Amino acid sequence: MQCAECLDLLNPYHDGELLPEELAEVRDHLALCPECTRAYDELVATSHLLQDGLVRYAAPDVLNARIRSALAHEDATPLRPAFASPRWLRLAAAGLLIAVTSSLATWGTVRVRGASRTARDEILATHVRSLMPGHLMDVASNNQHNVKPWFNGRVDLSPPVPALDSTGFVLDGGRLDYVGGRTVAAIVYLRRQHVVNVFSWPEAGDDSDPSVVTTQGYHLVNWRTGGVAFWAASDLNQTELSEFVALFRHGGAEAKR
Amino acid sequence: MATPQVERFEALIMPHLDDAYTLARYLLRDEHDAQDVVQDAALRAYRYFDGYRDGDPRAWFLAIVRNCGLTWQRRRRHDRLTVPLVAQHASAPDESRATDASAVERSDREAINRAVAALPEEFREVVVLRELQGMPYAQISTVVGVPIGTVMSRLSRARKRLATMLGTTQEAS
Repeated sequence: MQCAECLDLLNPYHDGELLPEELAEVRDHLALCPECTRAYDELVATSHLLQDGLVRYAAPDVLNARIRSALAHEDATPLRPAFASPRWLRLAAAGLLIAVTSSLATWGTVRVRGASRTARDEILATHVRSLMPGHLMDVASNNQHNVKPWFNGRVDLSPPVPALDSTGFVLDGGRLDYVGGRTVAAIVYLRRQHVVNVFSWPEAGDDSDPSVVTTQGYHLVNWRTGGVAFWAASDLNQTELSEFVALFRHGGAEAKR
Repeated sequence: MATPQVERFEALIMPHLDDAYTLARYLLRDEHDAQDVVQDAALRAYRYFDGYRDGDPRAWFLAIVRNCGLTWQRRRRHDRLTVPLVAQHASAPDESRATDASAVERSDREAINRAVAALPEEFREVVVLRELQGMPYAQISTVVGVPIGTVMSRLSRARKRLATMLGTTQEAS
């Protein structure tokens, strides 16, 4: 074997991609040729450095949740006819809904009615989704006079945006979100990097006091004031979130249709 | 009850999410873009799962991830509608979660990842698929969509460049 041929085969030799007879030829040549051996050593050193040094990334949990949630959503949505029979779709939807983390699976197909289990699940899913990079904010501002007008004409109420900075809850912005088949306002506050989402939309019914549910490490608080339903969602502890809700209600009592 | 197809998708494709995300990170060099691309790819894989017959499921999935990544890069400058102002609290940098099974010093690792990030894309992807994910040439050929001979020559040229950049070039005695 000539050096040129040997050098051509060093990479597949190192990677275990040679047939046994080629492998033997390269090995025999390397045993005799210091030039090719030096090239081979260089290749091996580089390769090992890469194998040890390249970063292997773990898919974030929230990505995993987002995919499973999207798959469930996918199954709940009619697809191209070529894809599958309705029967298959129904079975697949049923299967995924069971297989998937239960509370992430149901948004997109439910309607919000009061503090039902489905509303709770949907709020949670929306909150988690909002934590995805780039998904938190449509209007990023810590000034209530920027955030509040931004919703004009975008949702069918003017959401309260009280300034609570002095209490440690910093207004961070707002965005449009999608809950129960309608576009809703989401106001975002931060406390020590914990995100609090406040969702609101018009909803008929008597005023109700805040009630707390806890699910998957998140606390959700639901109340209704003046024909507007509110949900606050966060991973803050329950005491702090309740404190936030009290401050928010006190500061935001002027919610109007 | 899950159908056989759903179970197959869970069993064959979902276990490769980390590899998909890693490839996307190296292709796009941005964690947010990588997450969006992997989600897009997973949905596409699911839609076209009927078309998957046999062969290596990881290579099949990563080929979709790669295609989605290339498409994403072509259009990502045009359709950024919202401005993520507060990305820092959305998720902690996941370098902390990267597996760290080696004795390579942190500074070396940074130099290595910088060097790979600086490679042209066609070299970068074969290096990641081979050195990090340990794929045989035939599977790399599936993912990248080029003949095995091309995989071999790209890998060879990529390693030569990296040897120069990383100083592993052996001095002639």
